Amino acid sequence: MKILVTVKEVATVEDEFEIEGTAIADQYLGADLNEWDDYAIEEAVQLQEDGIADEVVTVTIGPEDCEQTIRQALAKGADRAVRIWDDSLEGVDLLDVNAKTEILSAVIEEEDPDLVLTGVQAGDDSFGATGVSVAEHLGYQWGAVVNHLEHDLDDGVASVRRELEGGVEELTDVELPAVLTIQTGINEPRYASLRGIRQAQRKPLDVQGLDDLGVDDSAVDSDLELTDMYEPESESDVTVWEGGAEETAAELGDLLRDKGVAP
Amino acid sequence: MEFGLTEEQEQIREEVARFAENEIVPEAEKYDEEETFPHEIVDEAAEMGLVGSSIPMEYGGAGYSTLETVIIAEELFSYDPGIALSIMACSFGTEAIEAFGTEDQKERFLEPVAMGEKISGAAISEPDTGSDVSSVSTQAEKDGDEWVVNGNKMWITNGTVGDFFVVLCKTNPDAEGRYNGFSQIVVESDRDGFSADKITGKMGIRASDTAELIFDDVRVPEENLIGTKDAAFMQQMQFFDATRVGVAAQGVGIAKGATREALEYAQDREQFGKPIGEFQAIQHKLANMATETEAARNLTYKAAWHVDQGEDITKLASMAKEYASRVAVDAANEAVQIHGGSGYVNDFPVERFYRDSKITQIYEGTSEIQKNVIARELLGKGF
Ligand SMILES: Cc1cc2nc3c(=O)[nH]c(=O)nc-3n(C[C@H](O)[C@H](O)[C@H](O)COP(=O)(O)OP(=O)(O)OC[C@H]3O[C@@H](n4cnc5c(N)ncnc54)[C@H](O)[C@@H]3O)c2cc1C
Repeated sequence: MKILVTVKEVATVEDEFEIEGTAIADQYLGADLNEWDDYAIEEAVQLQEDGIADEVVTVTIGPEDCEQTIRQALAKGADRAVRIWDDSLEGVDLLDVNAKTEILSAVIEEEDPDLVLTGVQAGDDSFGATGVSVAEHLGYQWGAVVNHLEHDLDDGVASVRRELEGGVEELTDVELPAVLTIQTGINEPRYASLRGIRQAQRKPLDVQGLDDLGVDDSAVDSDLELTDMYEPESESDVTVWEGGAEETAAELGDLLRDKGVAP
Repeated sequence: MEFGLTEEQEQIREEVARFAENEIVPEAEKYDEEETFPHEIVDEAAEMGLVGSSIPMEYGGAGYSTLETVIIAEELFSYDPGIALSIMACSFGTEAIEAFGTEDQKERFLEPVAMGEKISGAAISEPDTGSDVSSVSTQAEKDGDEWVVNGNKMWITNGTVGDFFVVLCKTNPDAEGRYNGFSQIVVESDRDGFSADKITGKMGIRASDTAELIFDDVRVPEENLIGTKDAAFMQQMQFFDATRVGVAAQGVGIAKGATREALEYAQDREQFGKPIGEFQAIQHKLANMATETEAARNLTYKAAWHVDQGEDITKLASMAKEYASRVAVDAANEAVQIHGGSGYVNDFPVERFYRDSKITQIYEGTSEIQKNVIARELLGKGF
């Protein structure tokens, strides 16, 4: 069985930052492996260690800078990586879900994996749609917000547990090939071992452009426009009651209900 | 000239930092207070391959060079020196086995260390033998096909947690010349006649285990002798460059950690209506700390790089060790000063850095001994 994991290098922001136009100023930004993808990689590597997967391939849309993040995935145990980038992507401000869907779908069609693992969302732009959108585009089944996967994908079926709102969980059988969007907490991601880091340097990292994938340049055009970015004003307000608990507790209760903090 | 690190080296640094922030920082105060060995953290570190990272791949290590080991040490020590030493010292003594050991010895001793199954140690110092290593009096006498070891070793890192020790013994009391007649012999801690007495009350690096070892007619097979009989002194000297550069890296790490903490505190703490980091007196302290750390780092990396080229760099290694340990002590001192009263209690890590930093000027040859070495080399005198 072949597993493909989507891996994104996300922007991280320092506690204190400034916004310039519609972006956070560069000097406050760092880069890291998307947290959700870390769990997806771990799940794939565990499937491989359990003898269920034969090959784990990662795919990333991103410039050369993000190869360090890709090597991190390789160091944790992925076998090889594909990175998609070219001039037409270079100038794009906002790569929307449609564009990612077209590009990733083209890679998936080429790689033909049995299972695709993505993160539920990316920590920076939080579209939270890519995995499901890719599945829909390819006609694959999908399971979203997966927090447990049975490691016996017998008969071409993945048994998954999904996290619903309000603490409810659901068990679903998903037919392969499928896309599962992985939730944090599904496993405990490992640290890349020093041996792994060393070996990762020699693992294949293949770079492809949109042409190589047969994706038209127009795929990156977006109907979305980022119009503004700002920090919401935070307000603080203090109410002080004089007197003992007997008289004032009820007033506190009313206030909390009023503010929507208590039901 | 090339000053940059490779992508792989950057990646090592980042992953080690991630490990330290998540696994070491939250536990550091506890192990310091309790003065206990951090077995759990060491096990996790071993899983990641931080233990014995320089042991060759074929024996289960990562086969990393001196420079990479320096990067790992710097990063770990910048978060907590006590736990960092507990991790880094798990393979103490194995360098001799790696360089001079037989295939059988390498399999017996290197592999389990690299896998995190066994902890080693290097036993040189004795109650009456510190800076003058040639005065070692622990004896090993041949009896049939065994060595019988008698004597005491003092200040031995991993003394009560180690599974085996590479022990510097006198094997030929009649040898001529101060540096002749010593051998390195592996003594396992489960041999009859071996005992270890934990030394408590250390000023710093309290998570790291230190003990006195007592050898009372301890018998080990003759196959436990490493390399050439009676030639251990020369064998031992070969590693001084690498091990001293290793302690230099510890100093760089401590200085870096102390600077990081001080920088953060200076931006948070307000007096006279502004962050204390706005005062020039504090800014100058921070500037000095950062500059000296960088200088120590460059000296250390340069020394490490030369070791990796297989060069003899006695003077440079001693310079790096002496300077970086001094910078560590100075930076930790200034970091406490910048913290004011808060730096005097263990609410902040700088109090620990202050206590931990001192050891780097003492072990692996004191600062005075390093200066002796540097001067001797400058003056062109042999040892
Ligand atoms: C926490 C800890 C861990 C240690 N771990 C190990 C270990 O794992 N294995 C091991 O073998 N040892 C270990 N040691 C021992 C350490 O290496 C020695 O303490 C060190 O070499 C100094 O020896 P000493 O303590 O006997 O001091 P001494 O040699 O007695 O020195 C006392 C003072 O005299 C000065 N001095 C001595 N000779 C000269 C000279 N010729 N010129 C000028 N000044 C001089 C010294 O610089 C120092 O200031 C450890 C020590 C500590 C504290």
